[in-house]
Amino acid sequence: MSAQQTPKEIGQISFGLMDPEEYRDMSATKVITADTYDDDGFPIDMGLMDPRLGVIDPGLECKTCGKHSGSCNGHFGHIELAAPVIHVGFAKLIRRLLRGTCRDCSRLCLDATEREEFEDRLTRSRELGKDLNDVTKAAIRQARKKDVCPFCGEVQYDINHEKPTTYYEVQQVLSSDYPERIAAAMEPDPDDEDSERVTPQELADETGIAPSRVNEILSGEFRPREDDRKAIEKVIDVDLTEEDMNKLMPSDIRDWFEDIPDEDMEVLGVSPEKSRPEWMILTVLPVPPVTARPSITLDNGQRSEDDLTHKLVDIIRINQRFMENREAGAPQLIIEDLWELLQYHVTTFMDNEISGTPPARHRSGRPLKTLSQRLKGKEGRFRGSLSGKRVNFSARTVISPDPTLSLNEVGVPDRVASEMTQTMIVNERNIEEARRYVSNGPENHPGANYVRRPDGRRLKVTEKNCEELAEKVQPGWEVARHLVDGDIVIFNRQPSLHRMSIMAHEVVVMPYKTFRLNTTVCPPYNADFDGDEMNMHALQNEEARAEARVLMRVQEQILSPRFGENIIGAIQDHVTAAYLLTNQNPEFNETQALDLLRATRIDELPEPDGEDEVGRPYWTGRSIFSELLPDDLDLEFTSSAGDTVVIEDGQLLDGTIDEDAVGAFGGEIVDTIAKVYSNTRARIFINEVSSLAIRTIMHFGFSIGIDDESIPEAAEEQIDEAIGSAYDRVQELIETYEQGDLESLPGRTVDETLEMKIMQALGRARDSAGDIAEDHFADDNPAVVMAESGARGSMLNLTQMAGCVGQQAVRGERINRGYENRTLSHYQEDDLSADAHGFVEASYRSGLSPREFFFHAMGGREGLVDTAVRTSKSGYLQRRLINALSELETQYDGTVRDTSDTIVQFEFGEDGTSPVQVSSDEEHVIDVDQIAESVLDAEFASDAEREQFIGSQAEPTNLSEHEAEWRIESDD
Amino acid sequence: MVDVSQHELVPEHTVLDDDELEDVLEEYNIKKTDLPKIKRLDSALPDDADVGDVIKVVRDSRTTDRAMVYRLVVE
Repeated sequence: MSAQQTPKEIGQISFGLMDPEEYRDMSATKVITADTYDDDGFPIDMGLMDPRLGVIDPGLECKTCGKHSGSCNGHFGHIELAAPVIHVGFAKLIRRLLRGTCRDCSRLCLDATEREEFEDRLTRSRELGKDLNDVTKAAIRQARKKDVCPFCGEVQYDINHEKPTTYYEVQQVLSSDYPERIAAAMEPDPDDEDSERVTPQELADETGIAPSRVNEILSGEFRPREDDRKAIEKVIDVDLTEEDMNKLMPSDIRDWFEDIPDEDMEVLGVSPEKSRPEWMILTVLPVPPVTARPSITLDNGQRSEDDLTHKLVDIIRINQRFMENREAGAPQLIIEDLWELLQYHVTTFMDNEISGTPPARHRSGRPLKTLSQRLKGKEGRFRGSLSGKRVNFSARTVISPDPTLSLNEVGVPDRVASEMTQTMIVNERNIEEARRYVSNGPENHPGANYVRRPDGRRLKVTEKNCEELAEKVQPGWEVARHLVDGDIVIFNRQPSLHRMSIMAHEVVVMPYKTFRLNTTVCPPYNADFDGDEMNMHALQNEEARAEARVLMRVQEQILSPRFGENIIGAIQDHVTAAYLLTNQNPEFNETQALDLLRATRIDELPEPDGEDEVGRPYWTGRSIFSELLPDDLDLEFTSSAGDTVVIEDGQLLDGTIDEDAVGAFGGEIVDTIAKVYSNTRARIFINEVSSLAIRTIMHFGFSIGIDDESIPEAAEEQIDEAIGSAYDRVQELIETYEQGDLESLPGRTVDETLEMKIMQALGRARDSAGDIAEDHFADDNPAVVMAESGARGSMLNLTQMAGCVGQQAVRGERINRGYENRTLSHYQEDDLSADAHGFVEASYRSGLSPREFFFHAMGGREGLVDTAVRTSKSGYLQRRLINALSELETQYDGTVRDTSDTIVQFEFGEDGTSPVQVSSDEEHVIDVDQIAESVLDAEFASDAEREQFIGSQAEPTNLSEHEAEWRIESDD
Repeated sequence: MVDVSQHELVPEHTVLDDDELEDVLEEYNIKKTDLPKIKRLDSALPDDADVGDVIKVVRDSRTTDRAMVYRLVVE
């Protein structure tokens, strides 16, 4: 679109059928030749590639509009069909109309009162926004019940629809073997001794037909009239009719529909001015413009035509043959065959995936991609080209971690930054900067790729012309400069399941080829660095950039609307490190303390916590951590390590900082800072906690190995003993069961009870093995530290590594599959013991026996299958949910409405509150005390202070972490 | 037969009179048909509710104590 074109407003869109006359009117040419190009390579006149249908070859001029390829949209042509054919898309509606209207007078078979009823129901459905189809379907059903037309009295027959496009009228007619049928029915029933032969005289008496006529009927000389036939049928209980399928040709149907009065169509919810029913039977076929079916020239110079063109060739060929044959007076049979063939080609031209018809194929055997295939499905026009399409200014590459970045930032490879550009409008104040970009050329990083002159000409900046071009740049020019540090971009990882899957980051241009992320933003994206790739989009106008900065920046997304708590926070090593720093409250000398805090804003240490034996001051881990807290923070909660964390006036007095304090997914301190202070403060806090944590874990060192899970021999014996006694218990249970003494639990069979009790016994055995193992782990055992702090792993993982892996299960039961009555050929049949059904006695450290390993693989496989099935199922569920909710919008009056203004919720979520603005403390849903306190504080302060309070309440919009630097830059 | 309207989990349903209805429609600036719908045969409806009536439902809400919702009775 050129810049001069203004956008137009669409007043209304109306959908309806198209009048064949309209096809002819808009047609640029009639198409009569099936060929495309002649021997010289020129398009044939009135052929499928007629130049009046538009141009695809550059340089040529369109014969209809005179425009060149690219600006000419193409023009429709038309084919005059030799005989009418049915449009497959309307096959169902045609069937309905045939069934609901009279075969003679074409009126809808409903009397006045019924019409009124259905018209009322239609208007009501329209008002309520319901599906009109339900009403029209009911109307047809009602009309179909009529045996005779209420207007002309014509008998109505049933319509049979043979998919996709054949219709039959089912008539009851006298069968050809009627004399035999009557004679057979007059014979006595061989199975029933009481029945006697019916004589023709008796038949005549009972039916009231003259005896001579009965004899004529019996000999087949006279066909009985309808009344006589029914009388005979009644007396001797015989069916003399057979169904006659009378095929309705499209021309018959067209004639039929032409006579349907306009007012009858309105009862069926069809507007007759826009859509006359006979237009559903095609007499003219529009030929799409060549621009919609461009031919491509192969390397060898041969032309290859589009699938649609191939289909049109077929249609024209058959159409031609049909006409020739009809003019030559060919037999009816041949004409009908050709008609059917024409119908087939027109049908597959519209839709090539109709059940019941073989798809039209290319010479290579590939099914043709015709009109409806272009629109349907994920790659179709709607989902593939309109709702979603490929875009410019986007990049995708592998992600990797960089703990030195802020969580708001993203490291962008220099080669990506030089490809993505931002438009810079040159004015007096930035002209020097703009010239600098241009003079750097397209290859040196902070350069420019294009410039646009005020006259609209776009010039490419090259290595050769960059210096020269830089001189020419004037205010009013536009420079497409490279991405530089501080630019805002949108970053995304699929699947985009929630709002935080797409967030805005500030650019930091870096060498090498990967996008760099701070590890704390992994949870919202659900990203890791095992090869994950992510997408970046450079924003292209000021409005978008402002919106992204204010609404979409990572720090604005710290609180998740999914559960109302923070989703960004310390993870893994950060949590471990925070635990190491605060759990035992270790002491650090000045150098160490400063080293821990070196990556934070803190450059002065507080008063030391004490002095060591030699008199050197020391600082504790908790007071170092306290440096990061806001000065007036008060908080008390229970940590995941189990102790109570007490924070008063921004000082951590007691307790362990771990997952529950600073972690992602609801870390208490992060959550409170984000809600009570601001997102900016929370961002600073998270950045500093992770920096401190990384220095801390580097200070202490943290590693884990197989030896960390070994336990003393005595403990192993204890575990063996515990498992041994569980085996004994299982054996006891089995013996009671075999003696028939096992009492079943309520609601279960004896077999189920036994299984349950065995599972319980073995579960207890594993737990006690775990307890024994746990007793022998030191508190500073790395695996224990990780499990306790909530950083990674659980006590159960530890139990399995050191103690006993435990029962393997498939579908929630012990393993029962394999051979007949046993799991493996190593066991006796019907062996109920623990090891025969997948109890793994060994620990991961000691190693599994081959049989245990096999059972373990069975259990493990179920887990894998489960996740695979779950992801695909939940993906589809998500799509349906989003499609259903996508058009709902919260209005300014607080109501939630859909696009037709129908109310869905009278107040957003019943209370009109945002989940992220509400306290997440379960005990005090709304902390009234704190609100009252802050209100009172404000009330009792002096007037000046109060004014200051009210005036300084609004947090200034923090646009960038680099805001301060910009100010400095603009000063000089 | 159990009268579900007496059940503790079924909120109070009352038929709006014309004045109240007008107020509601004015408040939200809507037509009657833009309201959420409820089937006439819904067992929670009061006996005198007819097609075309608007029902006021007063629900207990965890966050706002009482939440008011209106529904149009349809076939």
